[in-house]
Amino acid sequence: MAQIFDRSSNALARASLVLTGLIVIALGVTLDQLQRSPWVTRQGQRPDQPVPFSHKHHVQGLGLQCQYCHVTVEKSSYAGIPPTKTCINCHAQIWTNAQLLEPVRSSWATGESLAWTKVHDLPDFVYFSHEIHVNKGLGCASCHGRVDQMPLMYAENTLQMEWCLNCHRNPAKNLRPTGEIYNMAWEKPAEDRPVWCAAGDGKTGVPTAQSVSCTTKDPSGAGAEVASLELPLGGAHGQAGDVAAAALPVAPVYKRFTSQDELGHFLLDHYKIRTPQELTSCEVCHR
Amino acid sequence: MSNHENGPMSEKSKKQSTPMTLVQVREQLKGVKGKRYWKSVDELADTAEFQAAVEREFPHAAQEWVDPVSRRGFMKLMGASLALAGLAGCTKQPDEPIYAYVKQPEDLILGKPMYFATAHPFVTGAVPLLVKSDQFRPIKIDGNPEHPYNQGSSDPFTQGTLLDLYDPDRSQHVTYRGENREWAEFAQELRLKVAGTKDGTGIYFLSSTITSPTLARQWKAVQAAYPKATLVQYDPAIAGTSVANGTSVQYSLADADVIVSLDADFLSGASYPGFHKLVGDYAARRKDPEKLNRLYAIESTPTTTGLKAEHRLGLRASEIPAFAAELAKAVGANGAEGTGYNWTDEQKKFLAALAKDLKAHAGKSAVIPGLYQDPSVEVLALAINTALGNVSKTVLVPHEPAIPLPSDQIADFKALVADMNAGKVDWLVILNANPIYSAPADLEFAAAFDKAKMVAHLGSHLDETGQISHWHIPAAHYLESWSDARAYDGTVSIVQPLIDPLYGGRTAHHVFQTLLNEPMVSPYDAVRETWKSTIKGDFETGWRKALHQGWVDGTAFDKAAKASVDAGFKGAVPAPSPKDALEIIFRPDPNVYDGRWSNVGWLQELPKPVTSLSWDNAALVSGATLTKLNLEEDDIVELSVNGRSPRRVKAPVIVVPGHPDNSVTVHLGYGREFAGRVGSGAGFNAYLIRTTDAPFYATGSIKKLDGKWGLAVTKSHFQDHRPKLFGGQGNGNNSLEADEAIGERGIIRYATLDEFKANPGFANEGETHPKTDRDNTLFPNWEYKDNAWGMSIDMNSCTGCNACIVSCYAENNIAVVGKQQVRIGRNMQWLRIDTYFEGDLSAPRAHFQPMACQHCENAPCEQVCPVGATVHTPEGLNMMAYNRCVGTRYCSNNCPYKVRRFNFLLYSDYETESLKLLRNPDVSVRSRGVMEKCSYCVQRISAAKIEADKDNRAIQDGEIVTACQQACPASAITFGNINDKQSRVAKLQADGRSYQVLADLNTRPRTKYVAAVLNLNDELAEAPVEHLPAKG
Repeated sequence: MAQIFDRSSNALARASLVLTGLIVIALGVTLDQLQRSPWVTRQGQRPDQPVPFSHKHHVQGLGLQCQYCHVTVEKSSYAGIPPTKTCINCHAQIWTNAQLLEPVRSSWATGESLAWTKVHDLPDFVYFSHEIHVNKGLGCASCHGRVDQMPLMYAENTLQMEWCLNCHRNPAKNLRPTGEIYNMAWEKPAEDRPVWCAAGDGKTGVPTAQSVSCTTKDPSGAGAEVASLELPLGGAHGQAGDVAAAALPVAPVYKRFTSQDELGHFLLDHYKIRTPQELTSCEVCHR
Repeated sequence: MSNHENGPMSEKSKKQSTPMTLVQVREQLKGVKGKRYWKSVDELADTAEFQAAVEREFPHAAQEWVDPVSRRGFMKLMGASLALAGLAGCTKQPDEPIYAYVKQPEDLILGKPMYFATAHPFVTGAVPLLVKSDQFRPIKIDGNPEHPYNQGSSDPFTQGTLLDLYDPDRSQHVTYRGENREWAEFAQELRLKVAGTKDGTGIYFLSSTITSPTLARQWKAVQAAYPKATLVQYDPAIAGTSVANGTSVQYSLADADVIVSLDADFLSGASYPGFHKLVGDYAARRKDPEKLNRLYAIESTPTTTGLKAEHRLGLRASEIPAFAAELAKAVGANGAEGTGYNWTDEQKKFLAALAKDLKAHAGKSAVIPGLYQDPSVEVLALAINTALGNVSKTVLVPHEPAIPLPSDQIADFKALVADMNAGKVDWLVILNANPIYSAPADLEFAAAFDKAKMVAHLGSHLDETGQISHWHIPAAHYLESWSDARAYDGTVSIVQPLIDPLYGGRTAHHVFQTLLNEPMVSPYDAVRETWKSTIKGDFETGWRKALHQGWVDGTAFDKAAKASVDAGFKGAVPAPSPKDALEIIFRPDPNVYDGRWSNVGWLQELPKPVTSLSWDNAALVSGATLTKLNLEEDDIVELSVNGRSPRRVKAPVIVVPGHPDNSVTVHLGYGREFAGRVGSGAGFNAYLIRTTDAPFYATGSIKKLDGKWGLAVTKSHFQDHRPKLFGGQGNGNNSLEADEAIGERGIIRYATLDEFKANPGFANEGETHPKTDRDNTLFPNWEYKDNAWGMSIDMNSCTGCNACIVSCYAENNIAVVGKQQVRIGRNMQWLRIDTYFEGDLSAPRAHFQPMACQHCENAPCEQVCPVGATVHTPEGLNMMAYNRCVGTRYCSNNCPYKVRRFNFLLYSDYETESLKLLRNPDVSVRSRGVMEKCSYCVQRISAAKIEADKDNRAIQDGEIVTACQQACPASAITFGNINDKQSRVAKLQADGRSYQVLADLNTRPRTKYVAAVLNLNDELAEAPVEHLPAKG
């Protein structure tokens, strides 16, 4: 009986096996990349908004502080989306006839909400809290990017779980003094850009946001710019109670930091950041 | 244990393939020494069916398809899903809009809840509340922790009212003969009509009991303007009781060493006035064995009160007045005489010992009469309390009734029906009542209804009455309206709304105000007007203070009370019915009360105390009566009540251990036709056999019909099974409850006071298993350095009232699954109360054990999860990552406590708009195919941790309160950090009475139970005599 298959069929069969393997692998890689792609994560995408609001103009151009609009960022899990009233505070006076602002005026007149499209959208089974991040020395720009350079808002990061864990496993690399939280241009300390920090007396009950004071100017020199989240150093101690106020005359001991790693670990200690073990526990974000 | 040693189980199972008779049950029980526990009667009898049930993890057909889906159809449906299963993870989230406020309320911080004080105006006394509001949606109801009456506790009804608010079946429109109208049209028509009568002739109001002082004031104003207008109050659950008559006496159990319940069920729910305070005071004395009180219960139907009592005597309802008279005579109460009734020796002995104990504790005892008893019992109880010198110590007689307009509700209602039949009723305005459903059967209310010329119905639902009324007005929920109410202790609370009426509802305040000179006065203004004179000082300040703290100062009843009570007993007690007559006892349902909460899924699905029955009511009988009538459980019977024209109703029958013989208990509130999607069609309507002359108990008869009803009883669920590693027969068929509850495993541990004194460490001694070793594990041990969360549950305080379970429903977005799913064991409650009966079938003792995830340090579930969906946190929580769970159910299989719940189907309602408002935003709503279980309220722990971390401090003891702990009126649950040795939970866990359940498995549970100590009366301490089946 004659051979049905030619000898070359062997090679073909082998090639097809290899090819199938390659296709499966390629499919896997494609799906993996797809899952991380901006098409799925919306990273870097600028959705249509009712008003083409420019953070660049308002933050960089006009110098508005983040909390002017996002009022509850230190107090609640939501940073807060400003009500129409906040827009109207200024736009009742300036650009009152701008065509771009028509939806704002119409919202104000009719009482209908402006319908923004969410740019930073976490899945519903993730429980994220702005307040704890902001109070523990994580700046806005660390997650949201240079908002002051974004004419239209987009997500700088993927907001995927691997990105969250990246920091929860090693928070030190992103920590900064709470006084610099809203500083969009904050850069990590370096040899030519040192940071001086002084820790409080370590008393419990002093909010973490006030337990450390940092400055970017040599505090031994005059006119040091003292930075803390809510109040300058004196005020902070005054609030902490009489004992702290009595201890005020003792000059704080400043330490000089020239690398993010050193500063991060210093802040890790003094802000009492929980251990990576605790920060990566499931119940921190899922419940 | 001895019966298991009689022979191999398999042989016995074969022998008992047919259901056992009670005689056989008794045979099995005979000779059983020691403390033997059983959850259901089947288990006691060790039947083959029971053994088959314990072999399955989820009972009955829980593993099978219940829907008739063919294999072919299944493949067709699932084919596409299976093909795409691998891609399911790669979902792209849809765009989500953000609707910003136009003007944001000033004090609103989105993401932080607000709390408002209000009150639940319940008919037995208002329950002061502190309601959690998220973005102005009430999402959790709890007691007001600062209120002197309930100190933060609540009850199942109050918890359930939250779902009642968001009930999608509430009526939404004013209608006239089925057409949508406006409230103003109704108001105008009513006002003109009433004004046209000049004096109110022919105008009748039929209202549920008025609890609001403002509403009473408005009614009095209406009456002054229209003297002939008539108000009839009728509440089926309290008509004819001391609550309606305004004669109720108050009890203060803090100083009572001996408490006697004469058919008073004051420990099981808010049906009894003062429940929260009575339980609180009772339980406070149970925490320290040095200060134990002693509870005696004489009761006609088994309740948690009786099963909690040190000594319990089951009597038929009609025997209780006679028993009360004998007791009054024995303690020398003024005017009391014996009845000459033929008591059994056991009853005589009980009476003598009780009377002796009462006399020994004169001035430090309290005798509490039941609501649903002959009026003579209440008078006799007061006479006994007076004779013992308890009045103004443990017993207080207030000057004024707790409700503003006390009346003889039954007589008034009868008169109303007579007037209706006589054609005198031109307008009948029904306020928050449903008489078509609940009126006594002998009045033929439906026939009389047609003779009223115009009927208007104000109600939350288009119920049986609303369906046939001319006008229907949607009623506002108490969380939507302004009103006021008085608590048990007389304190007035302002009922303030948490949300605008969802469906434009109105209240009775609006209806009465419509008829007055200033019809546009709002309920808010009316309530303020009422308290103008009471609030001292600047009114606005005082008013704001009252709203803020939740009560009006200086309104509590005078504690000094009446100095002298004329407590002599006059008249006679009714003679008990003949011993062979069958008595039918009517009680409001422990879950849906008189039917008003029929459409509240949480309450429907909640297993009732004692019977563990959900979704139905049943004819509750004793085992002996069941045998005598030749019935089996779940059989359908026909109940009829003797009378001029006998009335019948079909009911399923169920055995309750400890029920008096020749007596049937039926719960009201079921058999609704127009309750809504949840409540319609559940159970049978016991109002059909309830008459005005016998509202609490009647004589009647029972007849077996063909067929089975199909009850959903949860107590046989979650029987454990596993090869018995430590001794025993090793056939794998041992049930957790029967073999292990006491004996070696000691799931329930308790001692009498004497045993405790002799051996304070009884709870942890005598275990035959070797103490487990911390290092005896395959997994590395974790050192808990900072926080270590733990819970302590006091078995001596828990009365099994179920408040914790309903609270858990609300806090954790738990789904309601429906009767069929409950029948196959798929109920989703994270917390259950296991009721273990012990001893004699007809006179058992019961132990209530709240059972939820134990958060084992060495958790068996975690070791078998293939995807790491259930894992341990560094603080010792066993937690679920829902989005990781793939639904293998291995964890549930490996859980020795059977506390894991699986979403077999899509139980959570993602569609209904009103239910979206209900959800707790801090807890995920679980979808199909996901395992869930108690999380120790991890969302509350996280919130507290964030607050503490911000402040740079440790979490304080008491800062985290779990939902179950918050609701518990007995303060039986304590939660906290067991690493903090000063915390309450650490102290409780260090107590010698604390023990862990199934600790010999080396699970190291974080929940510990405090073993009960019973303060028995030595004269009654021996086990009650064996009861013979009733003759006949």
